[in-house]
Amino acid sequence: MEEVGGGKGRGGTAMKSMMGVSGAAWSSSPRVLYSFLVTLLLVAGRARMVDALRFEVPAASTKCLAEDIQPNVLVLGDYSVVSAGDASHRITVKVTSPYGQQLYFQDSVQSGQFGFTTKEGGSYMACFWMQNAPPSLTISVDLDWKTGAAAKDWDDIAKKDKLEGMELELRKLEEQVEAIHAEMLYLRDREKEMRDLNETTNARVAWFSIISLLICLSVAGWQLWHLKSFFERKKLL
Amino acid sequence: MEDVFCLRVLLLALFVSLVAGPVQGIRFVLDRKECFSHHVEYEHDTVDVSFVVIKADNPWSFNRLGVDLTVEAPNGRMMYQGHQKEEDKFEFDGPIRGYYRFCFSNKSPMHETIDFDVHVGHIVKKEELARPEDFDPLMHRLQIIEEALYSVRFEQHWLQAQTDHQAIMNQSMSKRVIYKALLESVALVACSFLQVYLLQRLFERRLGKGSRV
Repeated sequence: MEEVGGGKGRGGTAMKSMMGVSGAAWSSSPRVLYSFLVTLLLVAGRARMVDALRFEVPAASTKCLAEDIQPNVLVLGDYSVVSAGDASHRITVKVTSPYGQQLYFQDSVQSGQFGFTTKEGGSYMACFWMQNAPPSLTISVDLDWKTGAAAKDWDDIAKKDKLEGMELELRKLEEQVEAIHAEMLYLRDREKEMRDLNETTNARVAWFSIISLLICLSVAGWQLWHLKSFFERKKLL
Repeated sequence: MEDVFCLRVLLLALFVSLVAGPVQGIRFVLDRKECFSHHVEYEHDTVDVSFVVIKADNPWSFNRLGVDLTVEAPNGRMMYQGHQKEEDKFEFDGPIRGYYRFCFSNKSPMHETIDFDVHVGHIVKKEELARPEDFDPLMHRLQIIEEALYSVRFEQHWLQAQTDHQAIMNQSMSKRVIYKALLESVALVACSFLQVYLLQRLFERRLGKGSRV
């Protein structure tokens, strides 16, 4: 699995042991420590998917997970089958856009990664299923779905723009804030749409009630007229 | 001196990389029962959870939609149990590290689309470091800010899911108004025709009998 968003991985226990080691190595050679830390930073990015959501895929059915994503957002997904003992099972993955277009397809794999930039807003769906599996088998799959700022390759950006430490973190925070702002604007638009719809519904309810009443009255009038002419014909009136 | 500075920068970068992960919001169709697991890396991490029932398969369902959610800690303890709720947003302190299990179950016969969001936040405290002198108050503050921002994204996601649910409900209500009006008019007109026809038939029969007599 390739390194994803370097620096965002978790090397929890590794960090603590590193701190212990650095205490001893501090005095001896800062260079050794430096390279050790760089390796550790890279390793942390390559760490197992601790942010992933784990779900079960039974043998005969398809599990689909979707997310509502806005246009022009970078999406990155990591998936892997959770190995249970010796058995290595394989799953088939398919990622589709809101209009049904297939964005990614992999047959019988144990783990993989997909990435794309959304063109239109809507529900993007990732479906998992097993092919040729015994009917009673249920496997667990880890899926880590990152969108927007979290999906960016910060290592790459850090190298290109020559950012370090504090500046890199602040840049990440800036992207987060921009994403929050964009979502707020989107929510505001949705709210305006709903308000318009509600006003239309309100007007419709009023108009249709009046029309219903008019139909009722006119139909009653027609009844009266028709029966009156009927009785006059039969010489009762 | 420069070496030490580079070292500090790297340490701090690694430091901050340990903070909260991104928000993980997904939508899925719930049939009968569905379970998810999420890993909590450190003890006493705050776990934020939210779920919203967006819609049901059949828009003409008259029962209120609701699902049950249970959250189980790795040691088997129940952290949360919700019955027949349409939406909920809560948080709890994960007492131990490990995989926490979130299980949804659906009692109604309809398939329901549910938006589910989990967020685990962690801030490295001074006591957790092997070398307490590496604790940088500035980076600590940055971590807190980052965690707060993830919290805001979490709330936004929940708000968006609620808005989606409201939008679907409003659209269906608008359509129902039109159907109701059409149906009402058709029923009124049909009813009145029926009335006139029956009265005519009644009187014709009566008059027919009467004229024979």
